[in-house]
Amino acid sequence: MIQMLRDLLLFFRRDLRIASSYRSPFVLELIEALFGAATFYYVARFVDSPQLREALPQGTSYFTYSLVGFVFFDYLHAALDSFDKTLEEARDSGTLEPLLVTQVSLPVVLIGSSVYPFALTTLRVAVYLGWGAALFGFPLGSANWLAVVVVLAATLLSFSGLGIFSSAYLLLFKRGNPSKWFFLGISSLVGGMLFPVSILPGWLQIVAHLNPVTYALDAMRAALLDGAGLATIARPLLILLLFAVVLLPTSIGVFSWALQRTKITGTLSHR
Amino acid sequence: MPPGVICVCGREEQASLFSCGRQAINTGVSDSAIIIDRLEKSFPRAYSGWRALLQPFAAPSLAALQGISLQVRAGEAVALLGVNGAGKSTLLRVLATLLIPTRGRALVAGFDCAREPAAVRRNFGYHAGSDLGFYARLTGRENLGFFGHLNHLSDSFLKTRIPALAERFELGDALDRQVRTLSSGTIQRLSLLRALLHQPKVLLLDEPTRSLDALAAADFRRFLKAEVLQRQGTSLLFASHTLPEIEILADRVAILKDGNLVALDSPESLKAKCGAQSLEQAFSVLTGHDARALEEPAS
Repeated sequence: MIQMLRDLLLFFRRDLRIASSYRSPFVLELIEALFGAATFYYVARFVDSPQLREALPQGTSYFTYSLVGFVFFDYLHAALDSFDKTLEEARDSGTLEPLLVTQVSLPVVLIGSSVYPFALTTLRVAVYLGWGAALFGFPLGSANWLAVVVVLAATLLSFSGLGIFSSAYLLLFKRGNPSKWFFLGISSLVGGMLFPVSILPGWLQIVAHLNPVTYALDAMRAALLDGAGLATIARPLLILLLFAVVLLPTSIGVFSWALQRTKITGTLSHR
Repeated sequence: MPPGVICVCGREEQASLFSCGRQAINTGVSDSAIIIDRLEKSFPRAYSGWRALLQPFAAPSLAALQGISLQVRAGEAVALLGVNGAGKSTLLRVLATLLIPTRGRALVAGFDCAREPAAVRRNFGYHAGSDLGFYARLTGRENLGFFGHLNHLSDSFLKTRIPALAERFELGDALDRQVRTLSSGTIQRLSLLRALLHQPKVLLLDEPTRSLDALAAADFRRFLKAEVLQRQGTSLLFASHTLPEIEILADRVAILKDGNLVALDSPESLKAKCGAQSLEQAFSVLTGHDARALEEPAS
């Protein structure tokens, strides 16, 4: 376990070094986050109405609701992108085979390579919320940070399962996974990113409840905006963990099988 | 046994060595570092269009290795010689656990490449013959440190080992420059250094001097012969198209043709048995190929 954590840290340090060799994106992302937070603030002011306030959870403004939905949806993007990107970059740069002949397994390589994108997403989320709190009154003071951290961990675990499934597809078929884009599209519609699931037609609400994004955003909003503790958010949190328990081992199993297939067909490093 | 094979161990001998392979090696009864037993590897045809979706499930039909059996003893250097497509790289990639054989078995340091890949990986160093395989925006030292740590080498070991090898490979300031600024020859030296970093028992090198200039290639061969093979007793299986290199490094030469092993013997014995003046002539006699075919650029 300690060795695995060390291995994961190696990948984080590698990606940090590579990213810091570019520099400017860090500054640009800070500025982009400011514009992003401001956009949500002004959209929220524009669309504010009694009907909207009725549809939102009690005491929540549309600005805080949509900002949390938007920034935490980024974790889904990071999960679905980082594993694929890791695999594609390793294949294109020729580092995939040197990685595979080390003593670290490919699932660890994949998970390790997602640590930095997740850390970067967390930083981006913090900057967005920071701008929101500093300039537009986002209520950071009411958050239950322990619950936020636990929800975040459960979110990362369940979303990682989806990302690993996607990279298994990429390993086998060499091109981007169309179901990834379908999943992103359906999640942005029914996941509760910009509007509550309760305003959707009944059948779409059923789809929403089969999607981990719905539970992740529910639990995160409750912990961050209402200061809800672990007991209060137990239901969405447990469902999220259930997704993780099912998705993670299944996706790693599917990925390992896909890797075996590519070693049989000799297409491991094919593009 | 394929017709025309010279001095390949008999099947019975192979089978008995193989059946006791792992125990024998672990107990020191056998000194084989690599045992390859009736190894076959076939690939499926490449599909395009919508049929590409079936590619991962296609049946293997193109034979790259057709029942190869050979051993490499501890401390021995064996060269793989053959024209492009003869199966040299495929054989090395099976041993490096990057391919799973269709039939037959391969053991490295007593561990089965298909069933115990993690154990196999602890025991070999692999150079793929390409000048890719590094992170372009990291320095040579950062790259080597990263891969060294992935082989669970300690910080303190790497801090002494990397500069020592870099000095021996005359890498100079290349170690502290981003890889994207290095020549392909320098990157190839880094790649060879990476293969040697964890002092493996077995070295698998695919065209180790392909991108090196003549001086660097000669220096590398001297280092490999004196330090790695003779002093450390590392076993070496390497593919090469450079006949003088093979004569300098190899104790025995395995000549491959169309995925078959057609000869396995010392360079001198091969020449004597074929009545040839040179290894080039012996190669032509044994394979029917003009030895100039060896110099064709890789496809």
